[in-house]
Amino acid sequence: MKITFPHMGTTLIFAKLFELFDHEIIMPPRPSKKTIDLGVKHSPEFACFPFKVIMGSYLEAIEAGADTIVTSGGHGPCRAGYYGELHKKILDDFGHQVNFIIFNAPQDNWSKFMENLKKIKAKKSWFNFWRNLKIIYKLAKAIDNVEKIVEQKRAYSPNGEVDLIWKKAKEEFNKINTIDEIEFVETKVKADLDSLSIHLPADKDRIKIGIIGEIYVVMEESINNYIEEKLNSFGVEVERSHYLSDWIDDTFLPFFGESTKIKAKGQQYIKIGIGGHAQESVGRIVDYKDRGFHGVIHLKPFGCLPELVSQSMLDKIAKDLNIPILSISIDEQIAEANILTRVEAFLDMVRQQKSLEERKIKHG
Amino acid sequence: MGKLKLGIPRALLYYFYYPFWEKLFSELDIELIVSNYTSREQLDKGIKYSISEICVPIKVYIGHVLDLINQGVDYVYIPRIISIKKNIFLCPKFLGLPDMIKNSIPEIENKILTHQITAKDDSLAGFKNYLGMADKLNISKWKLFWALQKANSHWQEHRKTQLQVNIDKKVLTIALIGYVYNIYDRFINMDLLRHLREMGINIVTFEMVDSQIIEQEVKLFPKPMFWEFTNKLLGAGYHFLKSPDIDGIIYVSAFGCGPDSILGSFLEIDANQANKPFMTLRIDEQTGESHLLTRIEAFVDLLKLKKS
Ligand code: SF4
Ligand code: SF4
Repeated sequence: MKITFPHMGTTLIFAKLFELFDHEIIMPPRPSKKTIDLGVKHSPEFACFPFKVIMGSYLEAIEAGADTIVTSGGHGPCRAGYYGELHKKILDDFGHQVNFIIFNAPQDNWSKFMENLKKIKAKKSWFNFWRNLKIIYKLAKAIDNVEKIVEQKRAYSPNGEVDLIWKKAKEEFNKINTIDEIEFVETKVKADLDSLSIHLPADKDRIKIGIIGEIYVVMEESINNYIEEKLNSFGVEVERSHYLSDWIDDTFLPFFGESTKIKAKGQQYIKIGIGGHAQESVGRIVDYKDRGFHGVIHLKPFGCLPELVSQSMLDKIAKDLNIPILSISIDEQIAEANILTRVEAFLDMVRQQKSLEERKIKHG
Repeated sequence: MGKLKLGIPRALLYYFYYPFWEKLFSELDIELIVSNYTSREQLDKGIKYSISEICVPIKVYIGHVLDLINQGVDYVYIPRIISIKKNIFLCPKFLGLPDMIKNSIPEIENKILTHQITAKDDSLAGFKNYLGMADKLNISKWKLFWALQKANSHWQEHRKTQLQVNIDKKVLTIALIGYVYNIYDRFINMDLLRHLREMGINIVTFEMVDSQIIEQEVKLFPKPMFWEFTNKLLGAGYHFLKSPDIDGIIYVSAFGCGPDSILGSFLEIDANQANKPFMTLRIDEQTGESHLLTRIEAFVDLLKLKKS
């Protein structure tokens, strides 16, 4: 069994998962122009953009020898729930012989879910199985903790010191095998970041931008044109609405994760869950505002159903909360230069609004 | 005080539930105003108030809402139909419909009459769903209760009449797969039904298929859709695929429709494998009539050739 999986965010976590179970892995290449072209060519014209990119990744991984694709069926009522089935259908139709292991919500089909688990567990004992899951969970948390610091400090590190540590950190995390090792790496990386002579400016000189929207385009930097890095390079701090560990919390412990709280914050705009993460997106804007952020960037794949609903109310929310919001639709045609100009213009506006408000406060 | 004037947009599920709403509100002594038929100007207004990449039916809907505001109604009726089957929902845009309208059309102010509907079957008559609305309109519970009963039986009768179809095997029969608001809005589909009828073609749609047959087909599918109307199309679609009386299938899909992109892809692959002629007609804001006609004619010619 040569396993591959969709490329979303920090793939080393998924890779580690399969590695701990002694599976052979074909790493999905980071989505490139070629991946996208390939995916677009083999997908229905009106499929979601993430669907097309993932299709491209699969084809590249199959080319490289993968024979088994592991993915999740999604749990919100949205199209992502069918990605797996439809990818399979189309790949079958093209005559590719690959197995799919699609994890749907256990309550939908318990025996299928167990059957899938056993395939992943392979020859390991159940004891090892739980231990490995715990390692993965801790690993995801640790990486996300570090990344959150990176997204802040990188704004004040024009010479790339922070990026260097971040890159090394990922390599180190990739080598871990136990929880102790994770803790060790996390502590060490944090200390390295602390030892850099970076001083966060005084509060009034910091600009913080929150990124919200559809999970794939928010998490997969190769698709959103490395927007977080870019924002950092313009000297602003960023935080995004999706981190892998939150996604794990959300998927497996839906009532304990943070998302319930966040959704409640958006209630006045979207009353109920409508699928995808629309309600969280809107709730996050309120949350970012509450936490003193200065602007919000909304990312969504072109034509994304739930995020179109949230997008349709952004003007009103921006007005109500007095926070600038920029919405960007991402698809195969979007040009990097175009995003950059829009982001730069947006940041100008954010800065302007910020100084305007500060003056207001000063003069009463 | 005169009767309350309630506007109903002639769009989206109007084409499925209007008989129900008509009876319900007339029993409640509310004057119903249905928006004008979709027109170029009306749609253009809807487009102006919508995000450009949203699906056409929502733009049409927004146009109708604006039309009603213009006509000076007291309220526009925009229910939030969440579910008409256990654990299956409607498309996200229906789930967020009142939110979207409220937050994107400033002119609507407080003129939305909305309430949530969760039901276990197609009937919208569940009493509890309407309690909040009845309070708002100052309607007694008894009156509401009886009005719902009457509206429901009226609607059930109407549904039964839809099920009676005779297929004349001598002429071509085409199954139209598409949401009611794409099949029956003559403006946005450029009078597709009339064109087909003029060519002497029998038309069947999902409403004509018994719901049990639909459900059976849905069960056979690896993973049922999350959206109920898409499921209905899925069940009907696979039923049509298998039935020898159907000569061809036209999938009428709206530009920007998410659920269609999934179902359409499955159906298309399976139709090809089953050797059933299949065509997708995409409704967008501009398609010219002549273009549409040519495609239909070509498809019909193909079917004729196959049948003879
Ligand atoms: S959330 Fe958007 S991108 Fe994701 S499945 Fe739904 S429509 Fe597609
Ligand atoms: S089902 Fe399709 S056409 Fe209907 S509202 Fe949803 S996206 Fe639009």
